[in-house]
Order: sequence, then C-alpha cells, then structure tokens
Amino acid sequence: MDLREEKIGEVSVVGVTGRIDSSTAPALEKRLTENLGAAQVRVVLDLSRLEYISSAGFRILLLAAKRADETGSRLVLCGVGGKVRQLFDLGGFLDLFTIVGAREDGIAAAQ
Amino acid sequence: MPAEVSPRKPANIVYALDEAPPLLVTAGNAVQHVALISINFVYPLLIFRLADVPVSGVASLLAVGLMVLGAGTFLQAVKRGPVGSGFLCPATFTAAYLSPSLLAVKAGGLPLLFGMTLFAGTLEVLFSRLLNRVRPYFPTEISGLVILMIGISAGMAGLRLMFGSSAEPVTSAEWTVAGVTLASMVAFNIWGRGLVRMLCALEGLVAGYVAAWFAGLLGGAQFDILARVDWIALPSLQHVSWSFDLALVAPFVIACLAVAMKAVGTITVCQRMVDADWVRPNMVSATRGVLADGITTMLAGIAGAVGTNTSTPSVGLASATGVASRYVAYAIGALFIVLGLTPKLTTLLAVMPRAVMVAALLFTICFIVINGLQIIGSRLLDARRTLVIGAAIIAGIAVEAFPTMTTGAPPSLLPMIGSSFVFSTLIALALNLLFRLGVKKTATMKVETTNIESKRIEQFMETQGAQWGARRDIIDRASFNLTQSIETIVEGCEPQGGLEITASFDEFNLDLRVAYLGPPLELPEKRPTNREIMESEEGQRKLAGFMLRRQADRVAAVHKGGRSTIIFHFDH
Repeated sequence: MDLREEKIGEVSVVGVTGRIDSSTAPALEKRLTENLGAAQVRVVLDLSRLEYISSAGFRILLLAAKRADETGSRLVLCGVGGKVRQLFDLGGFLDLFTIVGAREDGIAAAQ
Repeated sequence: MPAEVSPRKPANIVYALDEAPPLLVTAGNAVQHVALISINFVYPLLIFRLADVPVSGVASLLAVGLMVLGAGTFLQAVKRGPVGSGFLCPATFTAAYLSPSLLAVKAGGLPLLFGMTLFAGTLEVLFSRLLNRVRPYFPTEISGLVILMIGISAGMAGLRLMFGSSAEPVTSAEWTVAGVTLASMVAFNIWGRGLVRMLCALEGLVAGYVAAWFAGLLGGAQFDILARVDWIALPSLQHVSWSFDLALVAPFVIACLAVAMKAVGTITVCQRMVDADWVRPNMVSATRGVLADGITTMLAGIAGAVGTNTSTPSVGLASATGVASRYVAYAIGALFIVLGLTPKLTTLLAVMPRAVMVAALLFTICFIVINGLQIIGSRLLDARRTLVIGAAIIAGIAVEAFPTMTTGAPPSLLPMIGSSFVFSTLIALALNLLFRLGVKKTATMKVETTNIESKRIEQFMETQGAQWGARRDIIDRASFNLTQSIETIVEGCEPQGGLEITASFDEFNLDLRVAYLGPPLELPEKRPTNREIMESEEGQRKLAGFMLRRQADRVAAVHKGGRSTIIFHFDH
C-alpha cells in the first residue's frame, strides 16, 4: 500500500494505492489518526487507486469516521468504484460514510 | 402446493409481471415493441428474396411469420404446463437462422427451409430438457463467437445481395437510398432521445422507403401490387411443404444451440429486471422459456416461416419504460396476429428495395457483432482459449474472403465448410474438446502462515480461472474469499503449520477449500454492529466471516480431528 498526501486549501487529501489488509491497515490507521488528531479538520480519502480492502481496512475506516464525528471534523471518501465498491456494498458500508465520485467532488464536499 | 410468490418489484419498474396497466399504456407499449422488432423482418425478407419467391408469395409468407411471432409471444408469457417463462419476452425472427436458412433455400428451396426449421425447433425443444448437460461443450466464449459469426455471416449475406457476383450492379440511386437509410438509423440512434432513439430502426426504414420513392426505386409496379391486395385477409398456406437433408443438420444444430443459449440469456435479463432481490439465474424459468422458443420455431417450420428467438432489445425496452407486465405480451401477440391478417402491410414490406434492406441489415449487425465480442471478453482467456477463439474467427473469415477454398470438397460437406458461421463454430467446438485434454479441474496451493503473499493468492485464482475459462466476476468473488479468509484464519485461528487451498471447477460450480490445523473460522449470518467491529478484533473477524458468507453462494465450516476446512461454493 502506498499513501500520498497533499494539502488543498484547508483539505488534506490522502490517496491510497494498492491493498488495505491486516498487514497494511496499521499504516493507514496511523496516517488517519494524525490527520484527524485536531478538531474540525477536513480529510478526503481518495480510493480511486485502491485494489482491495479487507475487514481490517473497513475497521480502520469506521474508527476514523468515529473520530471525525467526535472532533467535529469531516471525512469524505471518493473514487470508490468497481470491485472496491462491491466490497463496500458487501460489508454494508456504502451508507455509513460520505462517499462522492471524483476527487474534486470530495474536496468540495469536505469544505 | 404453496402459491407462487411474486418477486419484489424493483424501483424502476412501474408495472410488474402480474400488474395490468391501463388499456392505453398496454396498447402503446405493444405498438412500441412491435415497432422495435420490425427491423428483424429483414431476415425472412432476405431469405425469401434470395429464394426468388414472387412478391405476393413473400407477403403471404411474412404474414404467416407474423402470426407465428404472435403465438410465440403468447407462449412465452403464459405458464402452461412446462411451457413459457411467464415473462414479457416477445418472439422475433433471428439472424442466427439466416445463414443455415440461406443454405437450405439454395439446396432445396422453400420445402427444405421449412423442413429444416421444423427440425431445428424440435431440436431446441429437446435441448430445453438437456440445457445443463450441453453447457460444458458450449462455453460462454464459444457462445460469443457464435454470435459474432452470426453477425459477420449475416452482414456478408446482405452485402452479397448488393455486390455478389450474381447480383445486378448497384445504381447510384441505390447507393443514395442505402446511405439515407443507414444514416437515418445511425443519426436517430446516436442523437435521438427517448422514443425517437428506441425506434431508430423503424424510423430509418420509413426514411429509406421515402428516399426509395423519391429515387424511383419504388414506383408504379410496386404500388400496383399494393393496390391489388386486400386490407384484411387470411394468409395462404398453399406454398407450404417440407423436406429434409442430412447435410444441413450441422448448420441447424449450431443455430439451434445458439438461439437456445441466447434465450437463456434473455430470460435471465427478464428475471433480473422484475426482481429486486435477484441473485442468480433461475434455470427453471429459463428452461420453460427455451421450450416455448423451440415450440415457436417448430410452429414456424410447420406454417412456413423462418426460425425465431426471444427478442433481447424488447426486454431492454421493457426495462427502459418500466412496463414489464405480461398483459403487454398478450397485446403484442394480438398485434402481431392482426398485422399478419393485413396483406397491405406485409406486401409493403415485401417490396422493400434491396438498398433499404441491406442498410437495415448492416445497422442491426453492428450490435450483434459487438454483443458477440463483449460476451467473448467476459471470460478470462488463457492461451488455449485464445487459440480456440482466434483460430475459429480466422477460419470463418477465410471462408468469406476465399469462397473458392471449398472447391472440390464433397457436396455433403459444403453446408459445414462453405458457411463461415458453421465452419468457425465447428472449429471452435473441435478445438475446445481437444484442448480440454490435460486441463486439471482441481488445483492446489500451500500458504505459509509466516508469509502471506496476497498477490500470489490472487494470481493463483487468475491463472486457474483463465485455464478453466471461468467467468471474470466469479473469479473476482472467489479471489476475495480466498485472501480474506486466509488473512482472518491466520490472524484469529492460530493455525498450526500452513494452509492448504484447493480450487475445483466444472462449468457449473467453483469450489474453494481452505484447510488447516486449528479451530474453524466463524461465518456469522448476521452482520456485527459497527460498535462490535470497532471495539475488538473479534468484531473485525466476525465482519470478515459475514462478508465471506455473503460473497459465496454457499459456505460450510467443517471441524474434524483438530483440522478445519472452510468451503466456499460459487454457482457458475
């Protein structure tokens, strides 16, 4: 898994490439914890290059969303398509997160 | 016996199967469906034209054909005994029988055409009972190839009518009319919206007729014939007689298999369309539908028409309008029969100029060819399967490009090697059988708990899937179950030693077994709550088990003598 982060205005965009499973989930958890550490931050998670996500990855996303709620921050997911979207649907996660289409939509939704 | 439960209606469906729409909606939809199907009238027209049947005879034969389509649409919609899928799935003439029918007309005129059509219908009736047994020998990529070659051979037959060695030279007026017809169809299809787009073929035909009238291709002679026929009359059946030729069995068997498989596909689309909870194809209604389809082709052979099939574009229309009621099917059936009793209309079709006919044929064939290519692409293809399909396509095109290739072949073999559609299918079937030799139906791999290489596990499924010619979507699902289950077992079940994976496949089933020393993996039916998932790794494992159960068609966990085996079954 590869994580790339860029700052666009007030929004941190974290792009995930590759696979999120039990071996890579801790790295994602660490990055999201850092990003959502302060109150009222804006984070977009770009999953357009994600190939696979296991239950370990979904757990991290749930924890991140919870943390965002608690700190008045906003976490938006974008680029959830194809096989990855099917996995979100399979686990019943499509309605649990703010999910938008393209990265630009994600930045707009997070602001 | 418990009453049959109606499926839950999807949000886009306004009138479900058993709901009766208002009369105006029913009638309006019936007209739209018949208009949509009307483009396929060019198939019998082309066959009868090449058989040198006079205009009055063509009109009469077309009228019989329309009445057969009406009966077929009824048969498909009703559920009587073992017959009929019960869906709004109208009957239509099909390009699949075009090539074999042309061979029959050439070899023995109309009697042989009708006799072989009756034979093909009877065969489809028998196939409907044996669908599952035939499927392994007719895998999806070969079905795609057959559809592709149906398109190519039908297109070539149409072009021969214009440019063949025995065809009259094409005049500039015909070029113009063909251009107007094709351009109208394409323009309405690409830039039209709603109903205009849906009926693009019919609108193109009308434009073609008008252009032909302006260009002088339709004139006094044709209008005289039209003026002489009645508005309402029963079609004549005087011309009907039957004969049989063993040499034509192969082409009709292949066409029959192709239409049976296509009927299964169309009825599956119907199932999905009317059921919000649809998960996988129901072979019971598919079998009933194929039986109805076969009986309709039998009726065509008996009454003097050409082979029929279920109309896939009509199912698309039902989905687009949200009107999937079988009452519309009854109205379509009635409308076909009324049109069959209207000689003025069938005569108007019978005098269709060849320029209009060929343009319409080329338009429909674009969709058939692409459909075939898409079906081929839906399967994972390894080197064997690539060779099967590639060699078959080249063989078929060679027959079209070099017709003299078969000079000197025994006349009894000509129907098989002289038709691109038949020859390429036979090549594919033969190579498929040959290449099945040596393909293991079971594959195993070992995974060390200290070194889980997810990519290697996915590669294992990809490679096996391609070798078996498995569906891409099924391999994706299986691949997820394999990687997710191994990850969860290693994390939560503390397996002793490694894990042993076994994947086995036949055309209908894909089974995965993950065996290890340790307690069994929990596969809960109920999703853990978000709190459970977040609070502990136990919750995360339950989520994994829940997803694994949902992803497979069946799951089982067996624990015996300290050894656990997790079994995932996927219907294929």
